[in-house]
Amino acid sequence: MILEIKDIDKSFGAKHVLKGVSFTAESGKAFGLLGRNGAGKTTAIRILMNVIPADGGEILVDGKPIDYKTMGLGYLPEERGLYPKKIIADQLEYFASLKGMKTKEARKSIDYWLERLGMKEYRNKRLDTLSKGNQQKIQLITALSHDPSIIILDEPFSGLDPVNAMLLKDVVKEQIALGKIVLFSSHQMSYIEEFCDGIAIINSGKIVLHGDLKEIKRNYARDRLIVNTPLPEKIKKDFGEACTETENGSLMLKLNDASEKQSVMKRLVESYDIDEVKVFEPSLNDIFVEYAGQEI
Amino acid sequence: MKQFGKIFGFELKGYFKNKIFVGVTIFLVAAIAVVMFIPNIASLFGSGGENKRPIMLVSSSDAQLLSIVGDYFDKAFGDYEVRVTDESIEDIRKEILSGEAECAFVLDGITSYTYYVDNLSLSDGNILIADSVLQEIYRLDAMIRYGLTPEQAAQIMTTEIESTTATLGKDQVKNFFYTYIMIFALYMVILLYGQMVASGVATEKSSRAMELLITSAKPVNMMFGKVLAACLAGLIQLIAIFGSALIFYNINKNAWSGNLIMQSIFNIPVDLFLYLPTFFILGFLIYAFLYGAIGSTASKLEDINTSVMPITFLFIIAFFVVIFSMMNGNVDNTVMKICSYVPFTSPMAMFTRIAMSSVAWYEIVVSIGILMASVIGVGFLAARIYRVGVLLYGTRPKLGAIIKMLFRR
Repeated sequence: MILEIKDIDKSFGAKHVLKGVSFTAESGKAFGLLGRNGAGKTTAIRILMNVIPADGGEILVDGKPIDYKTMGLGYLPEERGLYPKKIIADQLEYFASLKGMKTKEARKSIDYWLERLGMKEYRNKRLDTLSKGNQQKIQLITALSHDPSIIILDEPFSGLDPVNAMLLKDVVKEQIALGKIVLFSSHQMSYIEEFCDGIAIINSGKIVLHGDLKEIKRNYARDRLIVNTPLPEKIKKDFGEACTETENGSLMLKLNDASEKQSVMKRLVESYDIDEVKVFEPSLNDIFVEYAGQEI
Repeated sequence: MKQFGKIFGFELKGYFKNKIFVGVTIFLVAAIAVVMFIPNIASLFGSGGENKRPIMLVSSSDAQLLSIVGDYFDKAFGDYEVRVTDESIEDIRKEILSGEAECAFVLDGITSYTYYVDNLSLSDGNILIADSVLQEIYRLDAMIRYGLTPEQAAQIMTTEIESTTATLGKDQVKNFFYTYIMIFALYMVILLYGQMVASGVATEKSSRAMELLITSAKPVNMMFGKVLAACLAGLIQLIAIFGSALIFYNINKNAWSGNLIMQSIFNIPVDLFLYLPTFFILGFLIYAFLYGAIGSTASKLEDINTSVMPITFLFIIAFFVVIFSMMNGNVDNTVMKICSYVPFTSPMAMFTRIAMSSVAWYEIVVSIGILMASVIGVGFLAARIYRVGVLLYGTRPKLGAIIKMLFRR
């Protein structure tokens, strides 16, 4: 299954929020939608969820316009919130049934998820008696219980402790393995880098970068080397201005041209005490700052 | 439709799981039960209270007048223990101030007296009774002086006029009380539940449950499910309260036989029982939709009270127009006639006119027809406001901005 967002346009009054946004996500893979605060991510997600209509453009599944009646969508909103005063099982059942599940299946699925996330003991408790992280796990169940084909997770890791974050990672990997489209929106680049094959960076309502993360990284000019050495002073002296020290203590060598890569590496290994030398690849964080850093 | 059913069921369950809702209903039913059983309970304890009547002093320098007036006052003031006294005015004042006696009549002659009382209450009718008693004595005395025998004079004084009233339309004496109670119930329920719908929507929004709801359900379903559930909950509460009142009244029917007001309240014509739910449901819906729509534009619960003010005012004005017309006894005045076709006022105005006056059937049909159409129109309009309103956070949009949003697409 391929989900295509094509040329989505949206204005609120005089404010042009989305300017022809397009991206593609595939089933069995996770996709990261990145952007700074106010870039238009939530609006794009709301249009995808059919909450607000787009002014132009279309949403296609396998080339055909999306049919919300048959296509299940699961959503973990960034602004978390359920009914604080109601029993957890009651409201989970309610949300599952709103998505079209029968009471019996809903109950079964909720019990499965409560068990899976280690929340079984809270089944008949009121939501506001739970800690923030546990409330978040309950919220996650509302996004997954009806077995949707497209799952949208907005900042899923915020507020989770490392153990719960690990649990969520496992769940997300499971869902991806089940052939679902998982759409991430997050500012925590490390998680995106870990999960997502494809990314799109949105800046001021426009997609400024879109594609496979590995390819994007590979397409950067491979003209910098990262060197780890116990004796950095000598290299620094020899290479002069082309050598800078990075934050974590490694050295970065800027080459005149990418074609020098091989020869410089060879020279380094032969002439100096080298622990490690590799071609510099930008992290997603670097890419994000580069593309989303300035207002356009 | 299935989704609407789910929302309706969830909301309705919410009302019946709400301890305050259940508690208030039980309390009201219990209170009604107590009131209805009062005559029976009072008669159990009533026998001992006889000799505790307050004391009324009567005094005059004319001893013959005093003895006659004393006899008459004794009969006229059954609630008092009337005591003839020759104490000085000073002593009488002291007795009243000390609470020994409640009040005193000091007569200068048959046509002139001073009434002494500690605190004159608004409902003190003693002067009126004393005036008429003294007038009667004076007239009897005068008739005898002009040559009639005491028997002839007495006969003239006690002549009664026989009359019967043939009511061709509705008897407003009888239907005033139950109409008033029904209108007031309508008023209370709409106001209370309207606020509940508004704050329910605002709570969903402020707790951000809305983020999920709006992606799971259609706004129209949410609006109608919520409002109709509130309507049914209100109706059930009304039925519980009025039904129990009716049952308790019938249990104690004999004890209330002397009370005309109670009898008139429970002597409601059957057709009114059909009109009441009709106007109740329609009136409830039209206001609850508005309340829900307003609730959706508020981002905090605290904003609700000020946001719903215009609707509440509209509703209170409608209520007072109806109540004032009822008090005047002229429920068919021009304002009421107009109000009985305007959807926001017709539930109360038309119902009052049906109860207290004679309204042609086609007028009722037209009024209900307009109301029904308006309810559906307002319902869909409210759902549109809701759809836009629930996604707005921060400052509350102005009325003009909301209207603009509605017409933009």
